[in-house]
This record gives sequence, C-alpha cells and structure tokens, in this order.
Amino acid sequence: MSFYTVVGVLIVVAISSYAFWILAPKENRTVWRSTVILALAMMYLMWAITYLCQLHPLVEPRRSDMRPE
Amino acid sequence: MTGKDEAIFRSAEMSLLQFYIPQEISRDAVYTLGELGIVQFRDLNSKVRSFQRSFVNEIRRLDNVQRQHRYFYKLLNKHSIHLFEDPNVMFPEDTDVASHGPHVPISSSVIDDHVQNAALLEDRLIQMESAADQIQLKRADLEEHRAVLQSGDEFFSSEDAAQTSIASLRRESIISEGGHPDEAATRTHVNYVTGVIPRDKVNTLEQILWRTLRGNLYFKHVELRDAIYDAKTKEFVHKEAFIIFSPGDLIIQRIRKIAESLDAHLYDIDNNERVRSRQLQRVNQDLDDLYKVLETTTKTLESELYAIGNELNQWYQDVSREKVTFETLNKFNFDANRKTLIAEGWVPSDEVDCLQGTLTEMTTRLGIDVPSIIQVLETNRTPPTFHRVNKFTQGFQSIVDCYGIAQYREINAGLPTIVTFPFMFAIMFGDMGHGFIMFLAALTLVLNEKTLGRMKRDEIFDMAFTGRYIVLLMGLFSMYTGFLYNDIFSKSMTLFKSGWEWPEHFKKGDTLFAKSVGTYPFGLDWAWHGTENALLFSNSYKMKLSILMGFIHMSYSYMFSLANHLHFHSMIDIIGNFIPGLIFMQGIFGYLSVCIVYKWCKDWVKDGKAAPGLLNMLINMFLSPGTIDDELYPHQAKVQVFLLIAALICIPWLLLVKPLHFKYTHKEGAIALGDGAVAAIDDLEAAQPSADEVAEVYVAGEDDDEEGGAHGEEFSDVMIHQVIHTIEFCLNCVSHTASYLRLWALSLAHAQLSTVLWTMTIQIAFGMQGVVGVLMTFFLFAMWFVLTCCVLVVMEGTSAMLHSLRLHWVESMSKFFVGDGLPYEPFAFAYADMAEATESTTEQ
Repeated sequence: MSFYTVVGVLIVVAISSYAFWILAPKENRTVWRSTVILALAMMYLMWAITYLCQLHPLVEPRRSDMRPE
Repeated sequence: MTGKDEAIFRSAEMSLLQFYIPQEISRDAVYTLGELGIVQFRDLNSKVRSFQRSFVNEIRRLDNVQRQHRYFYKLLNKHSIHLFEDPNVMFPEDTDVASHGPHVPISSSVIDDHVQNAALLEDRLIQMESAADQIQLKRADLEEHRAVLQSGDEFFSSEDAAQTSIASLRRESIISEGGHPDEAATRTHVNYVTGVIPRDKVNTLEQILWRTLRGNLYFKHVELRDAIYDAKTKEFVHKEAFIIFSPGDLIIQRIRKIAESLDAHLYDIDNNERVRSRQLQRVNQDLDDLYKVLETTTKTLESELYAIGNELNQWYQDVSREKVTFETLNKFNFDANRKTLIAEGWVPSDEVDCLQGTLTEMTTRLGIDVPSIIQVLETNRTPPTFHRVNKFTQGFQSIVDCYGIAQYREINAGLPTIVTFPFMFAIMFGDMGHGFIMFLAALTLVLNEKTLGRMKRDEIFDMAFTGRYIVLLMGLFSMYTGFLYNDIFSKSMTLFKSGWEWPEHFKKGDTLFAKSVGTYPFGLDWAWHGTENALLFSNSYKMKLSILMGFIHMSYSYMFSLANHLHFHSMIDIIGNFIPGLIFMQGIFGYLSVCIVYKWCKDWVKDGKAAPGLLNMLINMFLSPGTIDDELYPHQAKVQVFLLIAALICIPWLLLVKPLHFKYTHKEGAIALGDGAVAAIDDLEAAQPSADEVAEVYVAGEDDDEEGGAHGEEFSDVMIHQVIHTIEFCLNCVSHTASYLRLWALSLAHAQLSTVLWTMTIQIAFGMQGVVGVLMTFFLFAMWFVLTCCVLVVMEGTSAMLHSLRLHWVESMSKFFVGDGLPYEPFAFAYADMAEATESTTEQ
C-alpha cells in the first residue's frame, strides 16, 4: 500500500478506458466514449486524491469522549 | 443514423443550397421540406417590406381563419367543452412514421374549405351567442323584477315604520324652524322607489341619498340569494333589492336619477299585496317560458360546439401549417420569366442526398416532368451551428447554449459537460443518502418519460423534466463522492478496516490520539468521524481536492483550445496564445498541484522533517524568489526561480506576438517581415525562453509602438484585443483557481448542515424510552426526513447546481469557448398549441 497503488490503479483505469474506446457502441459513439472515459477519469482522480491525502497523515484523530470497556 | 456525422463533438458541416422550384409545385415542395425539417431558409427578400411580399394576401386570409379558430376555442372554454387533441398529431415523433407513409400535403381545396367553414361557423356562432345573450338579459331583467316583487312583503311591512320615522324627522325640522307641528303637514303622502342594485354599491347609494336629501328618506335593502347576469360586465353579479321611502314627487324623481346613475334597475311595484301577487304570477310565467327558450338555445349552441371541439384542433393545425408554408414562400425569390421560385437555405452536408431523394420522390408522385433543382453554393457566409442531440444529450447541450451558441465547427462544450457538470455538482453535494434520493427522483422521471412527455407540464416541472438525465447523473455521482467522503446522511460506514488504532488502556476523560497502522483503501477513514479534529483534517483534504480538481478541469478545458486552433489551422494562436498561456498556468498552478501531491507522497513523520506549508511556499515564490524556509525537495529554489522567470516571459509573449504577426502579415505583406520581430517569434518558438529574449521582445515591442499609429485602426484593434486578453488570462488564472475553492466551501457546508440536522432532530429521539420514545422517534423521523428532502436535497442541491453552472460557464468555458455562432433553426412543421396561441393573443 503506497504511492504505487495509485499508479497501479491508474494503469488499470487507462487500460479499461482504452478498451471502452474500442468497444464503445456504434450508435452515439462520441457521446459514449467521452462520457464513460471522462467519468472514469474523474472518479479515479477523486479516489486517488482521497487515498493520497491519507497516505502519510500529518495529524492523527483525537478524541476525549471514549469510555473504557 | 448510418452515414450521418454524429455532430456532437463539433457541429455538423453545413452547405448552402440553392433550390430552383417550379412555381406549380412550390407549395408541395415547401410542405415536403417542412415535413423533413432540415433546411434553414435564408430570407432573400429581407429588404422587401412584409406587406409587399408575394403571398401577403394568402397569409392575411389565413390569419383571419386563425383568429376565427381562436374565437371558437374561447367559446369552447367558456362553455367548458373539451378540445379534442389527437396525441398522434401532438407527438408525431413517438408514433410510427412508417405506418403513416409519407405525408401528403393538405390540398389547397381543403384549406379553402377550412376558410369557408370558419367564416360560416363564425357567423352562426356569433348569431347564436348574441341570441343567447339577449335571452340572458331578458332573464336577468325578469329575475330582478321577481326578486323585487318577492321582497315586497318585507318592504311594505316596514311602511309604517317609514311613515313614522319620516314624520318625526319632519316634525323636528319644523320645530327647529320655529313653526308648530301640524298633524296634516307631517302626515304627507310618502312615495317610494323600488329596484335592484349591485351589492357593492348599496352603501354608496345610501350615503349619497342621505346627503342629498338630508335624511329625508327611509332606506331598506334585502340581499338576493342568487347572482344575476349583468349585461355590462357579462358576468354574474351579486345584487340586492332595495326600497326607498321619501315624501314628495320631486324628491322621488331625484332619487330615481341617482339610483339609475349607480347601475340600479328600477321596477315599480304596487303596495297592494294582491296586485303584487298577480304581478309575480305573470313574471313567473314569463320566466318559465324564457327558461325553456334559453335551454334549447344553449343546447343547440353546445351541440354545435361539441362538433367543433372534435375537429377544431385538426383545422387549426392545417391552417397553421399552410400559414408557415406561405411565410416560407415569402422568403423565396420569384423569377417571373421562367415561372420558378429560387430559394437558398442551409442544410447539413450529410443530408443533402436525402433531401434530393425526397424531392425527386415528390415530383414523381405529383407526376410533373419539371424537376426541382438543387445546387450547392460556394459561400463565405457563416453557417449556423448544428449539434445533433438526443434525449440524453439535449439537457446538457441546453446548459451550454444558454451561455452562447458555439462557433461553427468549434469544439462543443456540451460534450464534456455531460460528465463534468454533474461531477462538479457531486463534489459539493457528496452524500450517499442525499444522492440516492436525487437519483430515485430522476429515475422516476426517466422511467416514465413516455407518459410524462405527453403530459402538459407547468414551468417548474417542465424544467425538472427536461433536466432529468442531468439530475440522474448528479445523483449517481453524488453517491460516488458521498462514498468517498464516507457520508450517508452525515453518518459514516465502516466498510473496510480502519487505518487508525485507538490505544487499548485509558481512563475515562483522557484525551486520546490514534496510531496510524495503514491507509484506508477507499474514501475517508471512518475513524475520523466524531473526532475533535475531524474538521481540521477534512478541511485540508477538501481544500486541496478543490484546487486539484479545479486545476485539472481548467487544464482539460484549455486543451480544447489547442484542438480548436489545430482544427482551424491557426498556427499563430497556438504560438501566440496557447503556448505562453500554458506555460504561465502550468508554471504557477501546475507547480502548486504537483507540490500538493508530492507533499502527500512523502512520509514527513518518518523522515523527522517539518512539513512545509504550501501556501507560504507559493507566496514566497513571488515575494522573495530564491529563498526557501522549509525545503520541500532538493534544488527547490532553482526550480522556483526558473518557473517564475518562465511565467514572467509569458506575459510579454502573450501580449505581443499575435499583434506583431498581424502587423507583418496583413499590412506590408509577407515580404516585409521585420527582422526583430521575426527573430523574436523564432526564438520564442524555441522551447527554452531566457532573460535575453525578454529584452528582445521588449525591443520589438517598442519599435512597434512607434510605428503603430501609422498603421491604421485594424492593428490597434488587434492590439487592444490582445492586451485585454493578456490581462484577463493572467488575472483569471489566479481568480479562477481561487474560484474552485467553492467546491470545498459548499461541500463543507453541506456536510455540516446534514450533521446539524441529524443531531437536532432524530438523535434527540434515541435517548428516550417507552411510549414517548416511540412517538418521538416517529415524529422526529418525519421531521428529519421532510427537512432532508426540502432543505438538503432541493435547496442545497439547487445552490450547488448553480455553483457548478458557474464553474462551467466562467471557469471552464472561458478557456476555449468562442460562442459567437448562429443557432440552426430549420424550417419544420411544429405542433401549434391552441391554448398558448390564444393566451398570447389576448395578452397583446
């Protein structure tokens, strides 16, 4: 689990995008390609940013309302 | 769709066609083209005034018929008779065109029939209406008379009271005048006036009479139960019957005049009860007869209207089409010698063949040996912009078209908007629960689109219906971002193993710090939920998220401008605009984004170094270049100085290269290219700009300024335009990046609001027990759910949508979108809605 996870997922997303580029339906092809690949890219970005910001955290969670069991 | 360009990435290629249509088939040809709906005719007679055109008389005739039809429609509404609207006519795209076969144009004899028919019907209906009106008037008159007669008993029972009150008044006045009260003088004969008056005028009448007669009267009025038809306003009005007692004929005359001036109708009745009852009998008899006549009249009128109501809509459609056809014919040139009409119009290039085929088919069907000829014209006119949309894309396209119609063949901003618009929305609206509610609502609209599409929708619902696919995607992406934010109705899900571990042994009330044991694989760690410093963490996360997403969104949009310049072969725009802009933007904000990611990737705790603040780093990069407080990476100072110089070079580059290029190519021709400027341009084309070149460009700029005045206006236009562009671009880089921080602000506000709603409503119920607990849970859940839907989903959703709209129109589209295109509005027969037409004419 590290920065390479992000790279790995990027490769997976890129490959699946390329696969969709080829396999996109004949009808409304441009819309399909643009929509699906752009959605994949944005979802990947969002995940990657969330993942990266927790990779090496600078602050840790703090609470004082816990009760011992 | 085979063979057709998809025309969504760029607008469809258009050709300007010239049509030569023989006069005898011109009407049929235009009908066929209207059915096809792909030609946007140019007005070839734009200089001819509208009343001097060829087919003015025909249009005037049809206008009259339409007016008559609207009159019929109003009558239908008045008698609340339903207008039959054939759904196959209203929504021809839903029904199978194949089963209808090719539409045969309505023959002109049918139109003539419509015209005659309408005129006949209008006469008849007007007659019937006026007859009915007359009867209504008569009836109102009789009813009023009857009412007065019926209230006669009540009136005259108070006659004595009237006598005494008037007598006492008299006596008082006589005494005050110093005379002696005389029995004979006071017992004067009291006259009376009876009649009917609208209810709201009763008080006015009484006041006026009281003042003019100085109290010398006795006024009594009775409310009438049923409203009575009023001839003036043509409405039913509530009225009252009244009687006024007053002494003296002269006074009575005045009372009559005053009453009549206040729209009262006066009826004389006898004060003898027996005479009155005879009068009443006669009136009742008359009324009975009248009711019978009225009933038959209304029945005939209504049966006539029923018959009209069944066919009126079809007539109206026919006439509207005929009218549109003639209006189109008015745009054509008429060649009197060859008996030919000449038309020009824009057609998508890939549909020219289809058009040709249809016209040939039409001529063979009509059996005419003179064909209509189509010829493609070479032109330098700007063609209209035509994007082929379907039910899915049209909502997104309309978002863009609201802002501006794309230039002909430039990249359509509507295509990426399909994803980026809902996604930017979702970043602000991230919550699985709220996203799911939105998704369900949109799904209902999508699944029932056939039935809903045929319904008449009011304005707000129509907006939601047109945007159903937008809302659907907004809901879906909100669920995804909600999953990443780990928010479902402000609670978090514990799907994966947390990356944090709390200490095992502690005392109650201790402040605890969790220990990092791993990275949460998908979304935000649920360990953060409810911690004291959760906001500290999520703020930092969401702020950086918005900067990164914003920067990527802008860069993505900026790349479209490169694609546009390449498509239009505009090398100078790439060199003079795109490349310096790119270096400027990437050098500052790209660098910031890279630093953000780099800082995340480095383990600062393990290395034992202080993590540098990125905001200060960026500010210091400009204020004190070369000095670094906390080093992020080795050689940071050199890199930053280099980037700063590169960005600074870009400003004069952006400012001068394009105007200089314009000057040397347009004014002196290609031969007289100045040495300095060419050198500058050549050098700038090279990838590595340096400080020397800045000086060179400045020198070139000065030369240019001296000569600039002599070169006339066009150069200064380009220069001013470029100055504005440069200032705008550089400032916008900063302000637009900052503008994306709204993503952070809104998502924070949304999350906080849903947390507050949860704690203020349903959480209270969880602490209670017994019956109270059950009831409280029930009511507080209802409250929570209703508020979630109204405030969080609808209101917050609308606000987030508007912010996303702004991010697209301003931040993204300003990077590449020109938007000075002309909309493509082909001539096509559309359904003419009678209700709308009637409303718009009455408003005028």
